[in-house]
Amino acid sequence: MQDEKDFIQELLNPKTQNAAFQKLLQDYQRPLYNHIRNIVLNHDDADDVLQNTFIKVFKYLKDFKGESKLFSWMYRIATNEAITFIKQKAKRNGTTSEAMQTRIVDNLKADTFFDGNEIQIKLQKAIALLPEKQQLVFKMKYYEEIKYEELSEILGTSVGALKASYHHAVKKIEDFVKNN
Amino acid sequence: MKNFKLGNEPKITSGFTTPDGYFDSFSEKVLAQLPKQETKVISIFGSKKVWYFAAAAILILMLSIPLFNKYSNQQEEIDTATLENYIAYQSNISEEEIVNLLEQDDLDKMKLDFNIDDATIEDALKSNSNLEQYLID
Repeated sequence: MQDEKDFIQELLNPKTQNAAFQKLLQDYQRPLYNHIRNIVLNHDDADDVLQNTFIKVFKYLKDFKGESKLFSWMYRIATNEAITFIKQKAKRNGTTSEAMQTRIVDNLKADTFFDGNEIQIKLQKAIALLPEKQQLVFKMKYYEEIKYEELSEILGTSVGALKASYHHAVKKIEDFVKNN
Repeated sequence: MKNFKLGNEPKITSGFTTPDGYFDSFSEKVLAQLPKQETKVISIFGSKKVWYFAAAAILILMLSIPLFNKYSNQQEEIDTATLENYIAYQSNISEEEIVNLLEQDDLDKMKLDFNIDDATIEDALKSNSNLEQYLID
């Protein structure tokens, strides 16, 4: 935790800021990209959202109080950015984010940056049918393998509620796969 | 897929990929977009030079105070000749007006001044060529 405090100080100090921010980018660009990509599904959109996320992190770093871990705080920003993005995109296209997601998942095979087999596509389709919160919990737990305690900090939900959400999600996904 | 259990299956990955070298250039792309660092505000009181200049300026001001007083006082003094000329030629005050301005006290003082001893009066009368005329009157 002390290391993190030092690192945050480096990020805030104009002299060490550039080097520290580069390290932050190196450490977090892949996990945050995966997180965002799992929500927005499309590479170009994930690229946009990831850039905005890092710019926001840089901008609001001075307001980061250290109440949570830097990791959780950044995931929270990324999650908000990604969800806001898909909602705005759906609105622009005159549809709902659920309908838009289903359409993207149906066309995954045609996506240049998707390399998945039948079961992978089926799983994506099953997830797209879940309520927003369950989707988020499932993706973060199953794909990204984030621990419940960390999930709780990122999403501001109790561990118990997260476990319940995850189990509901798994149950629904298994039912979907069995019936399709 | 009748007995599909997610926990029993080998891990299913998302299947998402990225363009080649995407992460190699990503950092640069973000760094280029970061808001430029705010222009540093340099305090004018930060450098020693400024303090030297300030001290020099104060010293010069202090040294010039007596000089200033000298010149400004000179201007206020009007020499006596100018003042007399002004009163003699420029003022329109009649004697009567001056008399009116005199208080009883002033008049009494003036009377005292006139307490001149007889010898002085005689001398004055003797030297006065109009004495006879006065006597006639």
